[in-house]
Amino acid sequence: MSSNQELSMGSYAGIVIGLMIIVGIEVVLTYQHLSVRTLLFALLCLASLEAFVGVMYLMHVKYENRLLFWTIFPATLFVLVLLNYLWPDAYRMARMSLGR
Amino acid sequence: MSQSELTMSTGHEVLMESSPYGMEKKKLGMWIFIVSDACTFATFLFGYGYMRVGSQNWGTPFEFSSILNGIIMTFVLLSSSLSMLAAVRATQAGQKASANKWLGLTMLLGTVFAILHLREWFKMIGEGWRLFYNPLGGAAQFGACFFSVTGLHLTHVISGVIALAFIARGYNQGRYDSSHVETAGLYWHFVDLVWMFVFPLMYLMNAAR
Amino acid sequence: MHDMTAHAAAHHAPPQGFIRKYVFSVDHKVIGIQYTALGLVSAFIGMALSWAMRIHLAWPTASIPFLGTLSPNGAPGGVPTPEYYLSLMTMHGTIMAFFLLTAAPMAGFGNFMLPIHVGAADMAFPRLNMASFWVTFVGFVLACATFFIPDGPPLSGWTAYAPLSAVGAVAGPGQGWGQNLWGLSIALFCVASLLGALNFIVTTIDLRTKGMTLSRLPLATWAWFINAWVSLLAFAVLLPTCLLLVLDRLGGTSFFIPGGLVINDKMLPHSGGSPLLFQHLFWFFGHPEVYIIILPAFGIVAHVMPTFTRKPLVGGWKVITYAMAAIGGLSFVVWGHHMFVSGMSPYMAMVFSVPTLIITIPSVIAVLVFAFSLYGANMRFTTPMLFCLGFISLFISGGIGGFFLAQPAVDSYLHATSFVVGHFHFTMGLSAVFAAFAGFYYWFPKMWGRMMNETLGKIHFWLSFVLVYCVFMTLHLMGLTGSVRRYSQFVADFMVPLTPTNRFITIAALLLGATQFIFFYNVIWSRFKGPKAADNPWQATTLEWDTTSPPPFDNFGGRQMTVYHGPMEYDGDAFVMQTSTEKSIAGT
Repeated sequence: MSSNQELSMGSYAGIVIGLMIIVGIEVVLTYQHLSVRTLLFALLCLASLEAFVGVMYLMHVKYENRLLFWTIFPATLFVLVLLNYLWPDAYRMARMSLGR
Repeated sequence: MSQSELTMSTGHEVLMESSPYGMEKKKLGMWIFIVSDACTFATFLFGYGYMRVGSQNWGTPFEFSSILNGIIMTFVLLSSSLSMLAAVRATQAGQKASANKWLGLTMLLGTVFAILHLREWFKMIGEGWRLFYNPLGGAAQFGACFFSVTGLHLTHVISGVIALAFIARGYNQGRYDSSHVETAGLYWHFVDLVWMFVFPLMYLMNAAR
Repeated sequence: MHDMTAHAAAHHAPPQGFIRKYVFSVDHKVIGIQYTALGLVSAFIGMALSWAMRIHLAWPTASIPFLGTLSPNGAPGGVPTPEYYLSLMTMHGTIMAFFLLTAAPMAGFGNFMLPIHVGAADMAFPRLNMASFWVTFVGFVLACATFFIPDGPPLSGWTAYAPLSAVGAVAGPGQGWGQNLWGLSIALFCVASLLGALNFIVTTIDLRTKGMTLSRLPLATWAWFINAWVSLLAFAVLLPTCLLLVLDRLGGTSFFIPGGLVINDKMLPHSGGSPLLFQHLFWFFGHPEVYIIILPAFGIVAHVMPTFTRKPLVGGWKVITYAMAAIGGLSFVVWGHHMFVSGMSPYMAMVFSVPTLIITIPSVIAVLVFAFSLYGANMRFTTPMLFCLGFISLFISGGIGGFFLAQPAVDSYLHATSFVVGHFHFTMGLSAVFAAFAGFYYWFPKMWGRMMNETLGKIHFWLSFVLVYCVFMTLHLMGLTGSVRRYSQFVADFMVPLTPTNRFITIAALLLGATQFIFFYNVIWSRFKGPKAADNPWQATTLEWDTTSPPPFDNFGGRQMTVYHGPMEYDGDAFVMQTSTEKSIAGT
């Protein structure tokens, strides 16, 4: 099943270096005195980009059957989105402890 | 006994529906495992987020030396992904010596990552950090979140190195082929990509600035 | 679809020797039977625990000698203390929900039947399959071991709500090592369920024999497949929840323990955690869990019913399958309805209430498919069919209670009462048990090669059916009067007049338990003395009836199984096997 020879080792090296550059950007952003909220948003976006590139190229999903893409991403994102239901209670907890 | 093994034992080929995913079953199995493991990591990270949002005076204790250590760890792990890809490529081409070299390098990089990480851990423990204690006086949840999230990841890295060692042995003995190495590679890349979330969320978001 | 020929791999002969054949076996049929046996043992233990609870509720001073022997501290002189009552309740829930209801219909029947249904020789990963069972078994042993440690079992319920479950031995007997063992046991159960789910998914996707397209999959297999996905995502969240709970208990962290807690006059050192986080994470798993329990039940009923109504289900394979898939998906977005009175954000209560009412739509569709399929049926009233009818009845009765509980305003009144106890015993407990009985009576001939006794089966059904209603419908009524769940004694003034009702429930529950011995007797007798089963005693169409009873090691004796029809080719006495080349008679 290894018909995924679309990329040369050179391209892989390029992708990994690209990921390292994104990590570098993350570190630079960290020291820009952004607000916590902005920094978190930026870091999550960059990390998601890294994960997407990693899954698509390093893990070959781009070269597999498209059904695989449409299985793993919706299943994982479904759980990730639902876990966001936790936030209202997390923020209430913060407010309650401030009020004490 | 699997369908393919039945083919051998009965001496004729068994016709099957083609897999809609068009990949070997162990690879599909690994993908499904990765989906569930991603959810497990996500739960830990969301728990960390919950604790952080709900706590007052959350500290940002990481000096640049820790961040630098984290950057080195990240680069080590990313490089190991590259060497893993090279190992898969070598096994597919049937180059046993080259495959061994790259697998060895991958395991070495994984071990270096674990050592760097444990060094960081012991440094923090030496400074008084505990699962339940924050020596800087901020929220005690910091230690709990840091050690549990990175501990879960470290467990994955260490089990990955051990798994790669088994796969490499089986490959050299001729029991495993390139598809086994490729499947192990999927796990390895996954652990690498999880770190792409753990590093910014556990380190960069807690950098002193 | 083009054909794919399997790759050649290493050759495995059937195993020789008792241990490889029956204990550490990789054969899916043996593993299925092991899971089923584990389920039966769990059912017996769980049932015995419920008798002890019921006897204590109805006669608070009565001595139960066995309990006194089991735990001299927990039940001095055989009378359980309030704490020990909660221990009994916890273990009843844990053993029943995890080791019977989650394990038996899915891992028990599923392991045995799913590879045969799709025409495969075994599961996709036989060794992983063996590991799943033995990990489950170790989890079961750990759970049962809590009875024999000095403190006894934990008392925090099968939901193990923090902070009670998280603070350790200070919270009461059983909250020390009992709760530790519980956490470990459930963590192991999670791992086993994840591995099992993975195996089910890959087997269904990759090991289908020629012609077994998705539209021709038997409906039980569809249910197991959908359920495997639900398990995969739900147990992936329970596992870290258990790990965090264990960290709180053994590592000193405070994920789930708030600050300033004083328990038994002792100030706890923890601070900053959130019990709500535990409830969220637990119910993130916990609500899909009740559908993990009921989806295989739907599947078994959908599989068994057409055999005895002698006609396809209304809507063919599609309506019921889509309904099950919708239930599986929606089951993840409703967990907050367990938390209406937990102190959760009231806005979230609304967010969870609406999907809870929406999920009734696919549930009602599924049940109506079963009910409408009876219309014009050429019914054969065999024991499995009776249990299918019992399932429909119980699920509808229990489901109606769900409309009340789905609404935060009504639920606030009913939440901690025995209305809820009656509700979930109907919907996820006994519906699933009745479906499992249907499956058991239906597949027994295939699993052991002998028929079960029909007369005893029918007596078993009718007594169980009537007594189940006596117990759990009455519990609904008790709940409406305000009778609180988890209380070991009814001492409040307004509850005293309910004592006769309570005794009625207890007597019915004991009789219900006694009825199950008819079943146990029937199983043992039929296993050894029952008439030999033909290959296809029910005149059914699916692949398991296309091989010997019990099937050979490789399931089909090396035959190439090629499938031409869907699973519901019935028209009265006429039927067409899935592998038959005859013309379709039901148009499915």
